[in-house]
Amino acid sequence: MKRYFVIGMAIAWLLCLLAVPTLADQTMDLIEKSGKIKLGFREGSIPFAFVDPKVGKHVGFSVDMAGELAENLGKRFGKKIEIVPFTVTPKTRIPMVVNGTVDVEMGSTTYTQKREEQADFSMIFFFSETTFLVPKDSGIKKLEDLSGKRVGAARGTTNLRAVEDLANQGKFKPKDIIVTETHPQGMLALKSGKIEAYSTDRSLLEGLRMKDQNSDKWMTVPFAIAYEPYAYIMREGNSDFRDFVNNTVIWAIKTGKFYELYDKWMGPNGVVPIPMSQAYRNYLEMMVYPISDGWWKK
Amino acid sequence: MGFAYDFDWGVLWRQPYGMWLLQGIWLTLKIGFLGWIIALFLGILIGTLRVTPWRWLRFVSTAYTEVFRNVPFLVQLFFWYYAGPMIFGENLGRQINQIVGLNYYMAIFALGMYTASRVAEHMRAGFASISRDQYQAVLSTGMTHSQMYRYVIIPYALRIILPPLTTEFLTIFKNSSIAMTIGVAEITFMSYRIDAETFHGLEATTGAMFIYLVLGLTVVRVMGIIESKFKIPGMIGR
Repeated sequence: MKRYFVIGMAIAWLLCLLAVPTLADQTMDLIEKSGKIKLGFREGSIPFAFVDPKVGKHVGFSVDMAGELAENLGKRFGKKIEIVPFTVTPKTRIPMVVNGTVDVEMGSTTYTQKREEQADFSMIFFFSETTFLVPKDSGIKKLEDLSGKRVGAARGTTNLRAVEDLANQGKFKPKDIIVTETHPQGMLALKSGKIEAYSTDRSLLEGLRMKDQNSDKWMTVPFAIAYEPYAYIMREGNSDFRDFVNNTVIWAIKTGKFYELYDKWMGPNGVVPIPMSQAYRNYLEMMVYPISDGWWKK
Repeated sequence: MGFAYDFDWGVLWRQPYGMWLLQGIWLTLKIGFLGWIIALFLGILIGTLRVTPWRWLRFVSTAYTEVFRNVPFLVQLFFWYYAGPMIFGENLGRQINQIVGLNYYMAIFALGMYTASRVAEHMRAGFASISRDQYQAVLSTGMTHSQMYRYVIIPYALRIILPPLTTEFLTIFKNSSIAMTIGVAEITFMSYRIDAETFHGLEATTGAMFIYLVLGLTVVRVMGIIESKFKIPGMIGR
């Protein structure tokens, strides 16, 4: 008896390790059947997807984009599609998409080839620059000025990777690279003098800067060390759904809704003002493939 | 039905990931051992001070134990790392913040201080388990108070509390994983880093799990030998 129990436990344990099954159903069928779409949003990715403390709900550019997606899906299926929001973190966003907890993650995820191996990505909708936040009086103008300085970045981010790569290539010689757990901790390290420059995406750095009591004391440097294309994450092998998300983005650009949302969140009066560069504007215009009204119909 | 997740156990030994894990193990061992040295000596000292006849020393050591024992280790670590240097004022604090590898030293320091409070409590329990007659017998031989503790009571108590000390020694290695939150690249940090690079977090975390398990079992085995060697004859034991 005891032996069967032990074997049984061992098998159960192994199954726990392996149990990350895909959903047999296609995402589109599932949305049609349930009338719901499960969305993954970040909690603090300002201004793309974050929780507004005043209303206690997810808001942001990507969250509004999710609203567009749900509206288009509603037109496709001829009924209201409800958004069921889930909170994801950088660590859980891909596993949660892969195991079917959410249908699509809409936030500020950088598109990389390594990530593409695990999940599918939508079209790129935004480019962020990896850059540094420094004290205004530091006089840092170019990358070489950061040699001999201590720089920080958050664990597990592509920004940290970019900083480490540049240091390994000898493009600049930092005195030390300090890894922090979160962006606010990076800001704290910068303020307490543990580091002289903190690296992440420009939009996030501007967000951190705006939150600080002495926001005039800090500035983002004028150069960028890497560009990060943002895209939305979906499960592999659901090409109908992926097309639908892409069409939603393209349609929003074509109808001008995209620029409207950009202005709302990143315009001069937005949460984090990020001027739209000419290159980015060109990219948006050029990637619009021919698409006409009523594309959402089957 | 297939699995969406392709297992690739190679991330545990393929370069550079295998090297990262080894570096992580080395750092975990260093933090654990150095922290344990602080914890053991400071813990024995504080634990002894708690039962001395001098009121002020008792007060200080009790305050130390209660503060360090009742605040979560994660909070303590953040406090020492981010707020600690500010205690020394603007200029000295700035200089401390300039130290390269500050997070590593702070992790050892904080882990040692925290575990010391737990060791001190075990010491107190050890002292309490020695009967009053024993103390009086020692004093009646003409020893002073400090001699009594140094030559009789502390060695005696240490032998009694060896099993709980084993647990603390184990716990210090497990708690060292919290040092990850201030950027110390120990095993857990490295397994998360492998996850961030390869998205094979299941393998990396399972690998870290086995490393901790092997580390823990080794500690238990070594301490088991020490325990049986220093077992007090005539006491109930294995």
